[in-house]
Amino acid sequence: MRDKDVRIGVYICHCGTNIAGIVDVEEVARYASSIPGVVVARHYTFMCSETGQNMIKDDIKNLKLNGVVVAACSPALHEVTFKNAVKEAGLNPYLFEMVNIREHCSWTHTDRRLATEKAKDLVRMAIAKVKELEPLEEVKAEVVNSVLVVGSGVAGLSAALTLARAGLTVYIIDKRPVLGGFVTRLVNIAPIGIRGREFVKPMIDELVEMPNVKVLTNAEVISVEGGVGNFKVRIRQRPTYISDLCTLCGYCEKACPIEVPNEYEGKLTMRKAIYLPFKEAYPPKYVIDENACTKCGKCIDACPVKAIDLSVKERYIDLNVGAIIIAVGHEPYEPDKGEFGYGLTRRVITSLQLERLLDEEGPTGGRFIIDGKVPKTIVFISCVGSLIGNKTTNACSRRCCSTITYDTLKILSKNPDSHIYILYRDIRTYGFEEELYWKALENGVVFVKFEEPPKVEVMGDKIMVYVREATINKNIVIPADLVVLFVGMTPSNAGEIVRIFKLSRTADGFIREAHLKLRPAETPTEGIFLAGAAAGPKGVMESVIHGAAAASKALALLLNKKYILREPLVAKVDEELCSGCLICVGMCPFNAISVKYVGERRVATVNPLLCMGCGTCAAACPSGAMEHNGFKDKQILAQVRAFAGVVV
Amino acid sequence: MSSEYEPKVLMFTCNWCSYAAADLAGTSRMKTPHNIRIVRVMCSGRVDPQFIMEAFAQGADGVIVSGCHPGDCHYMEGNYKALRRMLLLRKLLEQLGIEPERLRLEWISASEARKFVEITTDTVEKLRKLGPLKPRLDYVRKIMEEVVK
Repeated sequence: MRDKDVRIGVYICHCGTNIAGIVDVEEVARYASSIPGVVVARHYTFMCSETGQNMIKDDIKNLKLNGVVVAACSPALHEVTFKNAVKEAGLNPYLFEMVNIREHCSWTHTDRRLATEKAKDLVRMAIAKVKELEPLEEVKAEVVNSVLVVGSGVAGLSAALTLARAGLTVYIIDKRPVLGGFVTRLVNIAPIGIRGREFVKPMIDELVEMPNVKVLTNAEVISVEGGVGNFKVRIRQRPTYISDLCTLCGYCEKACPIEVPNEYEGKLTMRKAIYLPFKEAYPPKYVIDENACTKCGKCIDACPVKAIDLSVKERYIDLNVGAIIIAVGHEPYEPDKGEFGYGLTRRVITSLQLERLLDEEGPTGGRFIIDGKVPKTIVFISCVGSLIGNKTTNACSRRCCSTITYDTLKILSKNPDSHIYILYRDIRTYGFEEELYWKALENGVVFVKFEEPPKVEVMGDKIMVYVREATINKNIVIPADLVVLFVGMTPSNAGEIVRIFKLSRTADGFIREAHLKLRPAETPTEGIFLAGAAAGPKGVMESVIHGAAAASKALALLLNKKYILREPLVAKVDEELCSGCLICVGMCPFNAISVKYVGERRVATVNPLLCMGCGTCAAACPSGAMEHNGFKDKQILAQVRAFAGVVV
Repeated sequence: MSSEYEPKVLMFTCNWCSYAAADLAGTSRMKTPHNIRIVRVMCSGRVDPQFIMEAFAQGADGVIVSGCHPGDCHYMEGNYKALRRMLLLRKLLEQLGIEPERLRLEWISASEARKFVEITTDTVEKLRKLGPLKPRLDYVRKIMEEVVK
């Protein structure tokens, strides 16, 4: 932009008192209006409100603005809001720059004078950049009307069902051999008391009957390329060895000589290397535990329908999808040996093992016995692995408190003369689940609050639990017959998922959402959504809601669309300047740059659909021919020069 | 207070990790030094050494370049490229009479608001001790002009 043509509007937001309480907004506006090229500078209580947005729109029209600066909150929050306002007023939205004077200024400083000076500097830098900005047109990208759902727990199922019902093609994959996820291992979904397997069965039944749904079990994503609207995903499917001919007769299981602990029974019982995870499992066939199987071949001989083939190799599947929903769930915390006595005796168990002991279809047929005896004094320790324990996430696991109270009631209904103690740091039975807490209290369950984690000592046959009761401030010793550790949720394979999908993690290790409150079902990457406990601990109901929310975001993106508009903040070559050295080609991690000939001359060219807009090629280009739209050399340099107080 | 020397620091943050960490520091109401001015780029790999040279030429006392942790880059490997460029640039700075510690490269993930506070605070403290940048500015500017050409 040439100086005499520059007509910039600057808008300073008070954000109530959030900004105006620390930053002298009037002073900043006054200062901005003194900068050459600024034709109007205003300040207002809430720039993001309709009145605030109309202020910008009216100025664009009436004052013929050709650049807009809004100094307000983080662009993560309202950049889109203001871009749209600018666009609606007929100005190219890429002639707009946002200045963060809330998160980066008023919220983090206390000195009014210094904060105001900083706000003025940041506004000056943005004005300098806007002067160099150029109008850009969005890149039209064709979309694929299909979605990949990674993970088939309740969140994934809920998402896949919502998408499939709307008519999109849905691929749902799970790394396990059967659908249903962690919930299938639960016996009591408090407060309704339904078995997890039965809870997901109608969802799975409906899903697998739909013609537009494709299920892949034993499958994991190994790489992702492309971007929103057109992701290219490579999936590795480990062999299942057993074909659909399987009739569930069970002869193979009888013939198999290998035994390993059964994770579906809380490792309380053994299972074979060839096994049926649970009777409602989908796909309805036996599965082979690859880690345990020795490929002895006895099952092949035993199978009457010749459904087993151990020579099958893993296969790779390439999918083209418009959006991805990550619903990889969580893993229950596995206490270390000796942690609260775990692993030292069979009478310190986890909540998952307790679930199996309370199940009519469990290893004891629902009789609450351990080592042949009915435990009389039972101590529950809550928050293990979430707030206390060797490795903590510091995140409340949300479902445990209601499950503990529900389980104590179930134990009392079986053995009314049990003495039950719940050792807790906080009881969080929110909503209607509070009723369970009161029922447990009425039925004589003793709640013991601790601040220091309790200690468990195993002495031969005896288990002693030591705890300091925080309300009466006295040490208590409880001789227990059974100790139940209520284990929290830990991130499931989040490190690997984050690496493959290029996402980030929260401090507690779960996958980070785009915004905790405003965009909880999205990731910062366009077209990749988040559902369920992958984004942090959630109860069953919350996961179902989260799954549907992620699906509706994907629907809004893809349904009935042939193409979408992508941000044009990509790299672009000035063919006049390009010397054809092709340093940029080696820089690009996305293979977006290729060679082209202009007459005889070799130059680089960028595919805007493959370019992700990192700008590393622009930083490397020795001739200044490669430019990063929205972050061009001259634009950033203008910002840097204005930093020192030079008003250009 | 007003007579005391206050360093001026320019900070380049990537959009995905470090800018978000600065946001989180604000949302958590952590106190950061007021001397930092952030320029947002999409990736630390976008930071052209000439931006940093220009910042020093314009009187910045220190420059921080901050990106995602190695292996966590939103664009796969942009932060490695930043690392290579910064290592070379520090050598160049030395030759120009600028203390190389005035340029810092740091990895700050989106959840590391505390690290953001620690690094910015530490940088300002170190620069306070180091004092204002007193290189042969005219010399730097001359070299810059050649680089830009």
